Amino acid sequence: MASDERIRDIGLIRRSISRPELGSVFGLIIIVITFMTLTSISGTFGAMWLNPIGIQAWVELAAFVGILAIGASLLMIAGEFDLSMGANIALAGHSFAIFLLFGVPIELAIILTFIELAFLGFIIGVIVVRTGLPSFIVTLAFWFASRGFAVFLSQTFFNQSRLSVKANLKPPPGGGEDPTLIDNIFAFDKAFGVPFDAEVYYFIILVFIVAFITNRTPYGNWIYASGGDPVAARAVGVPVARVKISLFMISTSLACLLGILTVMTSGASDPKAGDFRELHAIAAAVIGGCALTGGYGSVVGAVLGALIFAIASRGINFVPFIDNNLFRVMLGMLILGSALLNQFLRDRIVKG
Amino acid sequence: MIPSIEFRGVSKFFGNIIALKDISFKVFKGEITALLGDNGAGKSTLIKLLSGVHIPSEGEILLSGEPVNFKSPRQAVSAGIGTVYQDLALQPLMSVTRNFFLGREITKGLFLNMPLMNTITKKEMAKLGIDVADPTQPIGTMSGGQRQTLAIARAIYFGANVLILDEPTSALGQKQQLEVLRTIKKVKELGDIAIIFITHNDMHAKLLGDRFAFLNRGKVLAEGSRDEIDMNNLRPLMAGGAELEKLETEFSGR
Repeated sequence: MASDERIRDIGLIRRSISRPELGSVFGLIIIVITFMTLTSISGTFGAMWLNPIGIQAWVELAAFVGILAIGASLLMIAGEFDLSMGANIALAGHSFAIFLLFGVPIELAIILTFIELAFLGFIIGVIVVRTGLPSFIVTLAFWFASRGFAVFLSQTFFNQSRLSVKANLKPPPGGGEDPTLIDNIFAFDKAFGVPFDAEVYYFIILVFIVAFITNRTPYGNWIYASGGDPVAARAVGVPVARVKISLFMISTSLACLLGILTVMTSGASDPKAGDFRELHAIAAAVIGGCALTGGYGSVVGAVLGALIFAIASRGINFVPFIDNNLFRVMLGMLILGSALLNQFLRDRIVKG
Repeated sequence: MIPSIEFRGVSKFFGNIIALKDISFKVFKGEITALLGDNGAGKSTLIKLLSGVHIPSEGEILLSGEPVNFKSPRQAVSAGIGTVYQDLALQPLMSVTRNFFLGREITKGLFLNMPLMNTITKKEMAKLGIDVADPTQPIGTMSGGQRQTLAIARAIYFGANVLILDEPTSALGQKQQLEVLRTIKKVKELGDIAIIFITHNDMHAKLLGDRFAFLNRGKVLAEGSRDEIDMNNLRPLMAGGAELEKLETEFSGR
């Protein structure tokens, strides 16, 4: 292939312009420079970019939103959508807490919660695939139902909506919040001698695995094809329905991971856990280059999108002379701007 | 020579509608059979019978002399019948190689063997006269004619010895039509593939066809090799023979 002289004409610039992540790379550079400048002006540069607590603030948020954005971007590439992710975090947290409060051992409680949420994803997927209803509508229904069901269960059994499970997580030998062996393996956090919450490590591992799957396996190919042109994909033998159902199961399982981790690190399950996170994750996916129409986007882009979101979201607190409310204005503009940029880049690919 | 495909008195009814009535024609390997007919002549129904979407109501289809009874498109494909539909079943944003192998990827362990797939794609496209400089580029960058070639090359690579081309030139500009005709000629030159070239363009049919079959309102009006058919009579046959004559007298009578 290297012997073909015409590859040179295409060149590095054209080649990288056809990557879906391109827009978010620019976006990340701009947002980092902007916040470095703003924090320098207000004298908080060190607090945000050098101080461990400052770094934790935006890295942990990026990981939390990023884990969801992995699911959001996979679904968007396949032409689907999951609005219920945030609500499923609460459902997972509550389910996990309820299992613990009923005396189920922690290892089993984790497994049961994952099975429950994966099953929920299966149901959502089957409804979407069988009925042909837009996934926006189907998952909107579960946006209400999941959180509602979680609170209903906790009210019925324990007569409260917030469930504390601190007593069920045994105190660790050396002190700290998180405790039994399984907690430490599964939800290892700062008390365990690491600088970040467990989300950050899961996030990094997941990004590598998922990026590899999407780019280098047949399944990854099928995800893109299912969103690009499902009829054409089916015609050449891609199991479109099964691909989509599996992605809904991945999406609910990622929400499950976050739900359980949140309970473990805070010692309680809050009915408000994960509120609005689905929209943040979708924003990250859009900033990262995913097209709502499917067939285009990348997980790495969504990860960069999550970083952009987190830096802007936490960074605004380090810049006292800008009103916090302006953050949401800025985020809105950021989403709009990235969507426009990504559409432009996508058109360049099709036109060649 | 035994025909690759033979239709013997095939009919297809949908309730009280006669879509095809008593259809007979032959297709030989290394030859192009041009199947001509106006819209509504029954061409799509015929393709669907061949590709296993529908089952004949009467008559039989013979594949290399053996009667076959396809119950699903999958069976037809594994019997070596490749259909290239007008929409081509391609993914514009995916690369040439990924499109070529979509649904039938070559893997090395769990992972895609991209170098091997790229090489095969280049080689198979070159056989049909298209030099793909970089098979990792999205096919959005290819011309309509090149995409058609990609769909044909894919069908052949995955074992088609009967290739059904559903109006391959109808959605293209002049220059790209010629490109596709050239591709079809290349496929013929491979020698072991029977081609059914469905079209309503009599020029293209005349240019490429070795055998001809004319469909009109569900019936075969005429069938035969180049020598047996009056080539100058193609256009009137296409429009349904007698109907056109009737129209002519109507117009001249005005």
